[in-house]
Amino acid sequence: MEEQLSLLDLVWNASFTVQFVMAILMLSSMMSWYMIVNRYIYFRNANDEMYRFEERFWSGIDLSQLYREGNERAADGYAILGVESIFRAGFKEFSRLAQQAEMDSEALIEGARRAMRVAVMREEERLERHLAFLASVGSTSPYIGLFGTVWGIMHSFRGLANSTQATLATVAPGISEALVATAMGLFAAIPAVLAYNRFASKVEVLSNRYDTFMDEFSGILYRQAFAVRSRGKKAG
Amino acid sequence: MNTSIYAKPIMPRIVVRPALATLLIHGLLVVLLTANWASMDRERIKVKPLPNLVNARLVDVSDLKPKPQKKAEAAKPVAVPKVEPPKPEPKPEPKPEPKPAPKVEPPKPEPKPEPKVEAPQPKPKPKVEAPKPEPKPEPKVEQPKPEPKPEQPKPTPPPTTTPTKQSSRDALARIAQEELSTVDSTEEAAELTATADEMSASFAALIKRTVQSNWSRPPSARNGMECELEVQLVPTGEVVGVRVIRSSGDLAFDSSAENAVRRAGSFPELQKLPSGEFEKKFRRLNLIFKPEDLRF
Repeated sequence: MEEQLSLLDLVWNASFTVQFVMAILMLSSMMSWYMIVNRYIYFRNANDEMYRFEERFWSGIDLSQLYREGNERAADGYAILGVESIFRAGFKEFSRLAQQAEMDSEALIEGARRAMRVAVMREEERLERHLAFLASVGSTSPYIGLFGTVWGIMHSFRGLANSTQATLATVAPGISEALVATAMGLFAAIPAVLAYNRFASKVEVLSNRYDTFMDEFSGILYRQAFAVRSRGKKAG
Repeated sequence: MNTSIYAKPIMPRIVVRPALATLLIHGLLVVLLTANWASMDRERIKVKPLPNLVNARLVDVSDLKPKPQKKAEAAKPVAVPKVEPPKPEPKPEPKPEPKPAPKVEPPKPEPKPEPKVEAPQPKPKPKVEAPKPEPKPEPKVEQPKPEPKPEQPKPTPPPTTTPTKQSSRDALARIAQEELSTVDSTEEAAELTATADEMSASFAALIKRTVQSNWSRPPSARNGMECELEVQLVPTGEVVGVRVIRSSGDLAFDSSAENAVRRAGSFPELQKLPSGEFEKKFRRLNLIFKPEDLRF
């Protein structure tokens, strides 16, 4: 009775280079799946947070009250992300500048906007984390797999050159083993490419939302700044 | 709390769920691939030499009258579905069928419709026996080897078919025809209820029988020899490849086994098999040939 070729046998009996390629691909596949799920959860949370915060922000609540609530949550060890961190950055800078009497209203707004832009940058940076890895897995792992395949086929044909009787059976296992590498490359690449495209568009959407929020909030701060300064002028 | 916006960004820890999901996906993939690969089990069929049995069937003259015929038919639908495995039996029949007309065939005493062949001539005529259900179980009984030997002498009687008149002969042929058609229809009905396992078992039996009848052993065959062939079939039932995967050590024996399969050629009945079942069991088929009944 002939031995059935099993997939695991193919992997274990492969030549060193092909095995090495397979190991790389397996590792990158696992890492990319880890990052896919990680990003998925992160984006879902960011989305939920954004809706929750915007609802609260536009509910007419006192802004300093909102800021204090955020302080409490930060003290409890929560990481403040997304729109709320933008709000906090802008509000903090604004209130700090407003305490200095020599600042005019334009300077107040400029300072707050600058702080908020920095916060938006940081948020985008957080959103885009791991995406570069997904992109490179998606674009390179087919090539890595192809390399393994070409190497394996080269080997099996070299074996064919040495044997006097050329039958399909002498090359078939080698080719089969080599093709496993391509299959693994594709297995790693396809989800990574799909996920990268999806997450990239999500990043786009979220950072647009952040920009919009920044503009809306600076409109409110504008009003606030002129109110504060005109009161100051009357008093002074 | 008093972290400035320029502090190192805090990343929320999302570790456990992605790690679990990753392991799950890859574990599942490995399990699926290896399981599928390993579960491609083949059917193994043992081919033993066909014992030289008289495959006779008692058809009584009383059957020629319409009434008992009806009765027998009425009784059959009940009996046949029970006797599932031998279902493909009627298939090989058509070939020997035309033979009853010439009536003279010393080499193969197979033909069923021969009425008065069995043993004592005077008896069968008056005897009223349930003729149809009888022959079905017979193929099963054929298996035991000790039996064929004692019966071998018997095949000589067939030519002594003097008692049959020409008219009754025609009638017999007609009966056999009707019988075949009824068996066909009941077979179809039974097929609907037959599970895939039963079907593949009966097809395996059919293949075995066909190959057996085509196998002529070389004189060099000895007891204890065994050779295994791998037969490749296509869904139309045709044999596309035969390969010896375990030789008996005797070249003639191996090639006789190979020839038996090639001569069998095709098993068109396999077309009735659902394709999944075919892929699983009959795409590649292992046949084991053993001459067990040899005396030397």
